[in-house]
Amino acid sequence: MTEDMNALPYTDTKPVGAADFYFAINATFHFILKKLGADGLRRYWTDLGTRYFATVTKQWQQGGLAGVADYWRAFFAAEPGAQVKVSHTDEVVTLEVKVCPAIKHLRENGREIIPCFCQHCYFINEAIAAPAGFTARVTGGNGACRQIFYKRDAQVPEQDIKHIKEVASC
Amino acid sequence: MLGSYDFCGHYEWTFEWLCQQDGEPLVREYWDTAIARDSQKHASALISEKGIEGMKEYWGHTLDHEAAGYALSATDDVFRIDMHACPSKGFLIRNGLAQYHDYCDHCMGWIGPVMKDAGFVVDHEHNHCGQCWWEVRRAEDVTPPSAPGALSGENDVRLMPEWKTNQTDHYERSTNPDDKTTLP
Repeated sequence: MTEDMNALPYTDTKPVGAADFYFAINATFHFILKKLGADGLRRYWTDLGTRYFATVTKQWQQGGLAGVADYWRAFFAAEPGAQVKVSHTDEVVTLEVKVCPAIKHLRENGREIIPCFCQHCYFINEAIAAPAGFTARVTGGNGACRQIFYKRDAQVPEQDIKHIKEVASC
Repeated sequence: MLGSYDFCGHYEWTFEWLCQQDGEPLVREYWDTAIARDSQKHASALISEKGIEGMKEYWGHTLDHEAAGYALSATDDVFRIDMHACPSKGFLIRNGLAQYHDYCDHCMGWIGPVMKDAGFVVDHEHNHCGQCWWEVRRAEDVTPPSAPGALSGENDVRLMPEWKTNQTDHYERSTNPDDKTTLP
């Protein structure tokens, strides 16, 4: 792994995460959806972005779009099986997710993935990005997607949730 | 994206978030329903089918993947884990993450139901500093927990100088995360 792991707010002694934790992430979404409904699940994602990831927001405020790109390079270097190209210009950071490690591992292990799984990337990203002066958009999903981070004053259409694909389990 | 690398951080944060939504019963239901019976259903299936052999198989694989410092000991009647450096609690301590009042309870929260379903009970202690031990026996076996060193020799975490802390939580023949006594 060659990325600067200091770009991550929390670091571990192991170089990459354990893929089986994706089982728990999917199960958590499933549980909250069942107990608290779609609004509750979106609130969970937004609260995660705003509270748990508050240190990432600070990093992005200080580092600008280069900081956003550094974060995602380090992030995906630590996710087992991820194939993601991160690029940035003066205006945007783009994540081309060729292989989503979570969807891949869940699917390989025959897990029932909640259809709205891919929406978590939008809601968490936006909650981290907004207070840092950026806004996030996600298109695609179901194993591969594009995520773009713009400056908040950029004239971009609102996120259309219908542009995020539902996940098929198998 | 919510990642696996810092999983223990957002997992622990989630306990407190759920608690704020609808109290401790929702956290217990989460460990039972989402973790024991959904996320860890591969562990449950292995242990239900193979008993102690399944435990050796599951924890040998999982703890290697999580880069834990641990020792496994087993006979035909008992399965024991001595956890010297819990990868999960260690991650939280090193990164200063502590939202929920007792992260360590989550292990009994999901392992308890798995063992109950498979016909086992658990003796367990954790010291809130990344060290714990587990002994799992069949529910009909009334053998008390082993004396320090008797089952796992020098690997017994209770013999290590860092074992003694201000507060140790203790479970006897249990499968319930709330069925504990706190020892000073």
